[in-house]
Amino acid sequence: MVRFLQACADGLLTGALYALIGMGLALIFGVMRIVNFAHGAFLMVGMYATYVLFDSFKLNPYIGFLPAGVVLFIFGYLVYLLLIRPVRNRSHFMQILMTTGIGLILTDGAQLIFKADYRQTNIDLINRSVHIGPFGANAAEVLSFAIGIVFVVGLYFFVSRSLTGQALRAISQSPDVAPLMGINLTRIQGFSFALGTALAGVAGGLLLPRLYLFPGVGEDYTTKAFVMVVLGGMGSIEGAALGGLVLGLSESLTSLYIGNQWALIVDFVLFLLVLSFKPSGMFGRQRA
Amino acid sequence: MSYLKSWKFWVFLAVVLIWARMPWFIQNNYQLQVLFRITLFAALGLAWNLVGGYAGQLSLGHVAFFGVGAYGLALFVQLGIPVWVSLFLAAAVATLFAAIIGAIAFRLRGPYFTLATIAFGEVLRLVATNLNVTGGAIGLSMPGLFVGRTFWRSYYLAATALVAIAFLTNYWTSRSRFGYYLMAIREDEDTASAVGINTALCKLQSLLMSAFLTALAGALYGSAFQFIVPDSILPLDISIQIAIITMLGGAGTLLGPIVGAVLLLSASEAFKNQFKESHLLIYGVLIVLVVLFLPEGIVGGLQHRFRKRNKPPADAKPQPALGGAAQ
Repeated sequence: MVRFLQACADGLLTGALYALIGMGLALIFGVMRIVNFAHGAFLMVGMYATYVLFDSFKLNPYIGFLPAGVVLFIFGYLVYLLLIRPVRNRSHFMQILMTTGIGLILTDGAQLIFKADYRQTNIDLINRSVHIGPFGANAAEVLSFAIGIVFVVGLYFFVSRSLTGQALRAISQSPDVAPLMGINLTRIQGFSFALGTALAGVAGGLLLPRLYLFPGVGEDYTTKAFVMVVLGGMGSIEGAALGGLVLGLSESLTSLYIGNQWALIVDFVLFLLVLSFKPSGMFGRQRA
Repeated sequence: MSYLKSWKFWVFLAVVLIWARMPWFIQNNYQLQVLFRITLFAALGLAWNLVGGYAGQLSLGHVAFFGVGAYGLALFVQLGIPVWVSLFLAAAVATLFAAIIGAIAFRLRGPYFTLATIAFGEVLRLVATNLNVTGGAIGLSMPGLFVGRTFWRSYYLAATALVAIAFLTNYWTSRSRFGYYLMAIREDEDTASAVGINTALCKLQSLLMSAFLTALAGALYGSAFQFIVPDSILPLDISIQIAIITMLGGAGTLLGPIVGAVLLLSASEAFKNQFKESHLLIYGVLIVLVVLFLPEGIVGGLQHRFRKRNKPPADAKPQPALGGAAQ
């Protein structure tokens, strides 16, 4: 029982960061109906940005993730203007190809600049742990969980309360009518693409201390982000956050009972089951 | 024997014969191997074209059939079945996989379909990495279809034969009733369904044909390189490459996949020495450029321009093949 609860706790700790990644993807899909196949690559760029800050300025990744997020926001906005906006009225086919191409350029560009070496940030925090009763957790994971939750909750309130958030939701509900109501489509779409990218970058920065960094590190996260977003119902931001938690839990429990290497397979099977039996998502309302 | 009178048939035959005689001019094994890869990917592009081009379904999971073809060949030979029989058994198994994948994935549309095909490919890669029978991450050694001094030349000829078969399949599709059904589905699936086309069945048929050819190519590829591991024979990258080759040349055109394979593989070969592991960078850049400036691909764009010049637009507005199709 203790092992089960421990696995659940571990799953939730990871799940909060997953939620951040999934929410970024859901935001982009909701507002633009574009499936961003470059999401994991943006996460990877966020990790490298945080790493460079750590490597050259000795900036702790738990502070460095913020400037990395800002850099990714600007980068995402530029990508939107130059590459995504020209295809926003094209078929899904073309949009998927476009984001796939962006992902390849980022991943192989990182390979060109940083080579394929595995890198790591050694910070003191990663070797400490926190104990509550019989449960233990890595201090770094607890810290990134806390920061992740702040972002998740902040984003939720931003989208549901603020004026920009209302504009985002208006466009995702009706991309044809919203611009007639005086909402600037390009600005809002650019903003949400940039914000989604920044969230991936922030999540990358927060994941950095726990992972080995290499150019292909983001690939699994693109597919994982899809799993979360589909679990939660495509385009639903709250759903994606819940999907992230579910994914964290299912991976952690799979590792405990079946084996670590099967975790990703269980993700995909879950994904295919939801796609075939309830495409609107586990928590989603009917869309699409 | 009416086709003997058609000039197209003789051109086709001449091109196949010239292509097949290329090893006369090239003796170097490395160059032959590059030529083999170009030919094989042309066949893969043509196979993908049936689903991605004519039916307009963006599959990014074709590596599943490619990998099942290769693994199937190795495993059937291990069971003591003759190698050439195993080749076709493997392709049959891949077709069965296609039936299962299609039955689930074709219920979904647009991005959901693409996501499902990616998921199937990735599941197979991960399963192959974790099972003992497939050799896990260590992989399997492949039985040779050809042996001896003319090794690469034989593989090259086999790939050429496969391109010829795939081309004829595409040719037949492009002017059969079945092919018109597929194109109708590509342009507007709801309307196609409303006028009485069994869209689910047509899409599935195109996938089955495509998977059979893709599996043959996968078995040939694995056997030529003698050893397979999940990351070399089942990566998502191969699915993407196949799609890009076809899109660059022109999806839904007969010559597009061949033009795309020649251009893209020679470009990536040329950049390989310069960029080392980053040779996919050129793919990324090309995808972005094609999507932005050449959405119908090279052959598709040329055809479009040529038709416009010959036939001034009367009442019909020109329909771009894929790029402009509304969502």
